[in-house]
Amino acid sequence: MSIFTYDLTWILLLPVLGALAIYVVPKKWSEWSKWVALAFSAATFVLSLYIFFRILNVHGITGFGDLNNLADQVKLPWINFNAGSVHFTVQYFLGVDGLSLPMVVLNALLTMLAVIGGWNKKRFKDYLALILLLEAGVMGVFMALDIFFFFLMWEVELAPMFILIGVWGSDAIKHGVPGRIYSAWKFLLYTFFGSVFMLAGFILLYFTMGSSDMQYLSHHLIGGTTTILGIGISLQLLTFLLVFMAFAVKIPMFPFHTWLPDAHTDAPTEVSVLLAGVLLKMGAYGLIRFCFTLFPGGLGQFAGWLAVIAVINILYGAAICLVQKDMKKLIAYSSVSHMGIILLGVAAAAGAGNGMFQGALAGGDQAFRQVALTGATLQMFSHGIITGMLFFCVGVVYDLAHTREIAVFGGIAKRMPMLGTLFTFAAMASLGLPGLAGFVAEYMVFTSSFRVWTIPTILAVFTMILTAGYLLWMIKRVFFGPFNQKWDWMPDVSRRELIPLLALAGLVVFVGVYPAPLIDMISSSITPIIHTAVTAMK
Amino acid sequence: MSFKPSDLYLLAPEISVMLLALVVMAVDLFTKKRIVIAAISLVGLIVPAAFTIAQAITFSGTKTAFFGMLVVDQYSLFFQVIFLIIAAVIVLASYDYIGKYVHADGEFYALLLFSVVGMMFMASTGELITIYIALELTSFPLYVMAGLIRSDTKSSEAAVKYVLLGAMSSAILLYGFALLYGLTGTTDLQGLAQTFKGFSNGNLMVIVADVLIIAGFGFKISAVPFHMWAPDIYEGAPTPATAFFSVGSKAAGFAALIRVLIYGGLWQVDLVPLVVVLSIVAALTMTLGNFVAAVQTNIKRMMAYSSIAQAGYILVGVVGTLSMAPKSPAAAATGIAAVLFFILVYVVTNLGAFSGIIALANLTGGEKIDDFRGLWKRAPLLSVGTALCLLSLAGIPPVAGFFSKVFIFTAAWQLGQQWLVVVALLNSIVSIVYYGRVIKVMFFDEPQKEGRLVTSMSLATSITLASASLLVLTVIVQLVLNAANPAAFHLFASLTGR
Repeated sequence: MSIFTYDLTWILLLPVLGALAIYVVPKKWSEWSKWVALAFSAATFVLSLYIFFRILNVHGITGFGDLNNLADQVKLPWINFNAGSVHFTVQYFLGVDGLSLPMVVLNALLTMLAVIGGWNKKRFKDYLALILLLEAGVMGVFMALDIFFFFLMWEVELAPMFILIGVWGSDAIKHGVPGRIYSAWKFLLYTFFGSVFMLAGFILLYFTMGSSDMQYLSHHLIGGTTTILGIGISLQLLTFLLVFMAFAVKIPMFPFHTWLPDAHTDAPTEVSVLLAGVLLKMGAYGLIRFCFTLFPGGLGQFAGWLAVIAVINILYGAAICLVQKDMKKLIAYSSVSHMGIILLGVAAAAGAGNGMFQGALAGGDQAFRQVALTGATLQMFSHGIITGMLFFCVGVVYDLAHTREIAVFGGIAKRMPMLGTLFTFAAMASLGLPGLAGFVAEYMVFTSSFRVWTIPTILAVFTMILTAGYLLWMIKRVFFGPFNQKWDWMPDVSRRELIPLLALAGLVVFVGVYPAPLIDMISSSITPIIHTAVTAMK
Repeated sequence: MSFKPSDLYLLAPEISVMLLALVVMAVDLFTKKRIVIAAISLVGLIVPAAFTIAQAITFSGTKTAFFGMLVVDQYSLFFQVIFLIIAAVIVLASYDYIGKYVHADGEFYALLLFSVVGMMFMASTGELITIYIALELTSFPLYVMAGLIRSDTKSSEAAVKYVLLGAMSSAILLYGFALLYGLTGTTDLQGLAQTFKGFSNGNLMVIVADVLIIAGFGFKISAVPFHMWAPDIYEGAPTPATAFFSVGSKAAGFAALIRVLIYGGLWQVDLVPLVVVLSIVAALTMTLGNFVAAVQTNIKRMMAYSSIAQAGYILVGVVGTLSMAPKSPAAAATGIAAVLFFILVYVVTNLGAFSGIIALANLTGGEKIDDFRGLWKRAPLLSVGTALCLLSLAGIPPVAGFFSKVFIFTAAWQLGQQWLVVVALLNSIVSIVYYGRVIKVMFFDEPQKEGRLVTSMSLATSITLASASLLVLTVIVQLVLNAANPAAFHLFASLTGR
């Protein structure tokens, strides 16, 4: 079967096989199933790197192509159902370009680290198998280029996440039920609510345009208007709003963000890492890949609102961080704030601007949009590694102390100097210290969006002071200051726990010091998207 | 048209199941070992399966024999495969339950096989009286199976209710058939189709016959308002028998209903009242099934209402096909293809879900939804398998149930039944509530007792097979469609000159 000769198929298949292989290991040697899980997640990671280097060798760093010139793809017919006059078709269409490949590699890396992190969980077989299934679903989301296949993959990720939070989550009582159950349901219902709208949008798109192929749809943008309840609305805006609903919940965008703090506080450490690291990125990726590419007109009309909501995300997320008592909840809200920067970047790339810098725009219009969108994509990657690292750090503390309340700690850097250093390092990266990964993306977004959305950008930039405030204040209260004798027994971070932290720290420094390859790679794939969008908006 | 010995080959699947049933009965006289009888039944099913598959591969078009009484086409073969799957899975799933509660091993398996013969005939006859006889051959073993737990009054009550209501529905159906005969002077479905070509609309007798036939088959497929029997009998009967009713009886009912309505050309006269009646029945069936299922506490009753709701979705596809049939048979056939796909997936799903319920009854003796509490901690395989089946019933991607809903709703939408599709979509949302509740109870609630539950080998096999096929079906959707499309087409072929 030719389908198995494509390496992208194996990216999708390896984690699934790994999940099955875990259960094949006989009971006597059940410890070995951990190594099986690690082997399969490592194989997926190696394969994703192999794809990266193979393309790099042939085409160079700017040769990762775009939607219509995919560097690597597989496209086979899957379903062809003839219903009356229409043909309902779904393709098995996977592809990677400079936009999706970094996400694929990030997902493979974080899953591998999560397997290492979840080494000593109770019922580790089920736990690791579900993490691998989750990886497969997310891989599918990042690679699928047929709208219905994408939708299927979007749903595949739901079930493992639901069970991971619901079974291994924390038992702290929330609204009368254990928190893990409350949060798992909240996650499920919010995501499901969003994806129903996305399905409606895709069906509308499919039956208007007659194709589910992303390449076709990017050449033939949906147009025309329709009337709903007597109000005329352009199909561009309508389909954009429907599809964006699912992404907005996932990102999460204000006011659909309330599931995130709950899910984060109740999820086990590794699941939080994956949730912040890759699952939120599915929303941002979808926004760029689908909304920006297919509905530039609709997005353009919405850009002003998007900029306002982005600032609310940034400001509100940061402000609420200041009053958090729980470390994980604080990082969760900081995610809301940082994901707002991605939204701001997208709004800048799509927006018409406020006329203040019209001169500057006229000359380098496309360039500014390009930088904004590249910055937003870069922010996806750097937020993934930085927040992943922060959650791993909190996980170490929580596993030892069984509490995450900031107030009960104090001066524990005395007992855990290594963790204190790494935690401080991750916090510095998160608040955007130059030289580390967070700074590059934020700088790119802010400098370019300033010309388009001046006031929102000024507000957002000043919020960075708050970011520094809440992160440093947390570090101070937990790791420094007067030592709380209660924690005298705490050992430092173990060698196994150190592996993910050091791996991510290395990556943070690399992206911070030498972001050029990543920027080139992303930027070359962004160019055509911006080009189509600018043409469509004029 | 005359009898040829080679016609017997067309009958080979039915004959071999019948012989198998006789063998099972005979062997039961000499041995009381359950394993022997079950093994013979299971292995013996390979023979009819081989015949059916051989016919499916080698035949094309429609073959008739015995003066039109037997019609072998892709449609009948598609259903025969479904019935054989049902028989095999029920044999597997019932093994422990029969030993524990029923104590009538030979009888159970022989009755099961006889009933399957009847079902196979229901899909493969082209003549009204044969359909009626096949229906009775299907039903009588079912009545006995419902009452097989002799020590349980609930089971006996179920059997009596089933007999009485079943007899009444048969009478209604027969009345409808009699009217058709009176109108046309023939009982041959092809003859009916030819005669009806010359009829003009506004014929009251045809409408009455339509309604009576829908009522008669409505009982078999448990469509509202002929559904009252289902919950009581599902609850009272031995669970493997319930599983068998919920898939076999329903699939066979649909097989015959579609055969009569379309192959028999009933849609050619007075289509509007027929469509109106059927769409009202479909809407009521979905809505009542889903809303009442949501408040059940007994899992078997919940599944009974869920199976009523699922029948409603299937009817949506049937209505879509009927309404389009005069304009474009080719387009209308797509509705039947979607229906066939839906029935296959429904059968596999329900068999899996019921295997889970049987396993639970064997292990804990309870059939309340609350008895599933924390099952995930005590029997992980059982709970994952059951959960997959429930997700498929709810139509959540990526399980195959999602595609069956997508196909049937797309088809019905395209065939001009938009309002029914909207009703069906709203119903699908309601259904998530009660299927989701069972999943929630299984995975998140604390178990009442500790300790691992060990599912027996045969049940573990049937659950694993069913739930794995649901995922496999997702991948090979196209293969099933490739089988369902010609099957649907052949139904119209005789009227449109192939």
